[in-house]
Amino acid sequence: MPATRTRLILTTAFATLLGAGTVAALAGVAAWRAGWYDIGATTQHFQPVYTVLEQGMHYSVRRHARSVAVPALGDRAQVLRGAAVYRDNCAQCHGGPGVAPGNHGLSMQPVPGPLVDASRHWKPRELYWLTRHGIKMSGMPAWEFHLSEDEMWATVAFVMQLPTLNAADYRAMTAPPGEPAR
Amino acid sequence: MKAPIALAVLMLLAGCGDAGRPAGGVNGDPARGKVALGQYGCRACHMIPGVTGSKVYVGRPLEDLAKRHFIAGTLPNDQANLVRWIRDPQAIDPGTAMPKLGVSERDAMDMSAYLLAH
Repeated sequence: MPATRTRLILTTAFATLLGAGTVAALAGVAAWRAGWYDIGATTQHFQPVYTVLEQGMHYSVRRHARSVAVPALGDRAQVLRGAAVYRDNCAQCHGGPGVAPGNHGLSMQPVPGPLVDASRHWKPRELYWLTRHGIKMSGMPAWEFHLSEDEMWATVAFVMQLPTLNAADYRAMTAPPGEPAR
Repeated sequence: MKAPIALAVLMLLAGCGDAGRPAGGVNGDPARGKVALGQYGCRACHMIPGVTGSKVYVGRPLEDLAKRHFIAGTLPNDQANLVRWIRDPQAIDPGTAMPKLGVSERDAMDMSAYLLAH
């Protein structure tokens, strides 16, 4: 008798879970297929969704960058080279002190964000990993096949210096070649 | 002799009525301004109530803006000055790290309307 009773409870629980799962899956497929989700970049994520996605991105980068070996960073020539790479490839979306990103960077969702505070959130090896591999579904491209190893590390070296630069310093360091730094 | 002083005091007191509201009222469409704040990347550097984004302290958080007395440390806080600052911050403070973002008059108006109401 107790055995039958236990079996009945287990069968009921299993059937209930299966039924609820099926209904939830069907509802999910219906919402997906109907296109109810607004994919437009003028509507924002709910803050909790944004926070969870962003935090997950941080965890993933931290883990994947663990094995990156960091070369010597920060000599003047390297930082200046990084400034040029930054000006030509990064500032369009991330801007710089006193310098706005281009329109495509401003209206991206998620917004690419400034990098002046990046060294507060990331270690050099994580910045390198982010630059090399990019971030899926965020608009951040991978630079592995477009920049040399030295250029990526030079960019990291420059980004590490960004918090110490004011608008005038930034303008001077990223002045186009041939133009006197103001 | 005393009447003008009394009148002046009354006018000052009347100005205190609507606490937190800049003098002269606020024009513009705050709902449209909220979307515009997302579309000019404001939230990249500033935390703004009701606008989704990261925890960021590159620019100052923009909550309770209506309660502040000055913008950028120098400008009296009213909507006209806020619009001026949003549209061309470097004209007011050449050393500021805040860039000129190409904001139109109308968009700056709507953005300031949202900011002054939150």
